[in-house]
Amino acid sequence: MSDELKSNLPQPPDAGPTASRSTVPIWIIVLTLLLLFLGAVYFDHHSGWFDKQVYAPYTSADELASYQPKSGAASMLTHGKAVYETYCGLCHGSDGLGKPGQAPELAGSEWVAKDITSLARIPLTGLNGPIQVKGRDWNLSMAPMGASLSDADLAAVLTYVRGSWGNKSGAVAIDEMKAARAAISGQAPSSSDLAKMTPVERGHAVFQKYGCFQCHGQEAKGGVANPNAKTAEQVPSLIYVADGYTKDELKTFIRKGERDIPMLHPAGPPPPHFMPSWGNVISSNELDDLTDFLFSLKPKGDKLDF
Amino acid sequence: MQMNKQLGVLLLGVAALALFGAGVARADDQLDAETKARIDRFEKGPATIDVSKYPQGVQDNYEIFSQKCTQCHKLSRPVNCDYVLPDEWSRYVKRMMRKPGSGIDSADGKKIFEFLVYDSSVRKKAMLDDKLAKLTPDDKTAAEAKIKEVHDKYDNK
Repeated sequence: MSDELKSNLPQPPDAGPTASRSTVPIWIIVLTLLLLFLGAVYFDHHSGWFDKQVYAPYTSADELASYQPKSGAASMLTHGKAVYETYCGLCHGSDGLGKPGQAPELAGSEWVAKDITSLARIPLTGLNGPIQVKGRDWNLSMAPMGASLSDADLAAVLTYVRGSWGNKSGAVAIDEMKAARAAISGQAPSSSDLAKMTPVERGHAVFQKYGCFQCHGQEAKGGVANPNAKTAEQVPSLIYVADGYTKDELKTFIRKGERDIPMLHPAGPPPPHFMPSWGNVISSNELDDLTDFLFSLKPKGDKLDF
Repeated sequence: MQMNKQLGVLLLGVAALALFGAGVARADDQLDAETKARIDRFEKGPATIDVSKYPQGVQDNYEIFSQKCTQCHKLSRPVNCDYVLPDEWSRYVKRMMRKPGSGIDSADGKKIFEFLVYDSSVRKKAMLDDKLAKLTPDDKTAAEAKIKEVHDKYDNK
């Protein structure tokens, strides 16, 4: 009987296992390679490369470093971003692209790349009127959003703006910011001038110094548009504060500010302008003078009979 | 085990973000947390006043009060707040009516003021007496004169 014939016959039931070769299915190879690759990737991401400082749940020395107290440039950027989101992001956008018809983009803006004093002037004193940004014309009414911020906050936020969204202008040091603020307020009266002035005159200088007029108007009669603000979509006049506040109440309000401006249409966007808290910026003497000035604004003869 | 680690990192990240967010939000709220807490407390109280026993003129003023003031805030805020003195009401009514777009003219403002002074002297009598007792003698005399003036204007008419 030939071999071929033999193998075609039914095998006896008690036949033992026979050795044979069969190909490994292709999916097992693929799966194995995939698992090896994923394992390698995981190892790369999570082993910490056996660095003796890295323990779970941290996955690398870099990650660990990111939880350490920060200093220098990195903390400036983190802090600057937080300040930006609070004071600038509503109009200029988290992406720095601005809002059509309201706020120009900061990404790639030639104004961001200017010298520090020119740039710092914008948050410190606001910006009103026509301006060109990247070849487009704008007519702005920006409040001095940064006037109530410290030099450290302003330096951080300008550093963030100058180093984000493709902007590559250098960081702003706190000392540079301090110098810029001093240069911008250079026109302010000297201390010997101030000593000769009445409290109301000094208060008027304070009103100018902190840029209150940018929102409340040169004569404090209000008028800067504040879309969707319950107060007739404008920043309120200040000439009647003597009616509605005690001096202490007014000082407290100026110190604390009002972050949440009630909205005309609750479903609409939040109004862009709000009252900053000035408590950390304004001195108590300045605040006394400012209050005297504001109380002096009440029109003579305009008296309510209650 | 490895999944736990990954999950751990993820959760840690989420927690850090949440904490950061909460910190920023809290910094904003802190500006006037005290006032906000007071307003919340006031607004939890009843939103109407039973004026059926008040003189007709005061009832009419209550209508103006409830109509004008609810343009911007809940009526329960002034109804339950701790202002009772004529001086306090004068200041707050003027502060509100001077807001752009309040739609409260000086005649309405005066009616609202008179309603609030009258109502405070009846419904919040205990609080009023307490505050009057803490005033200087001159201020106390002036406040009492103002309250009497309002009562004389509306009572028994």
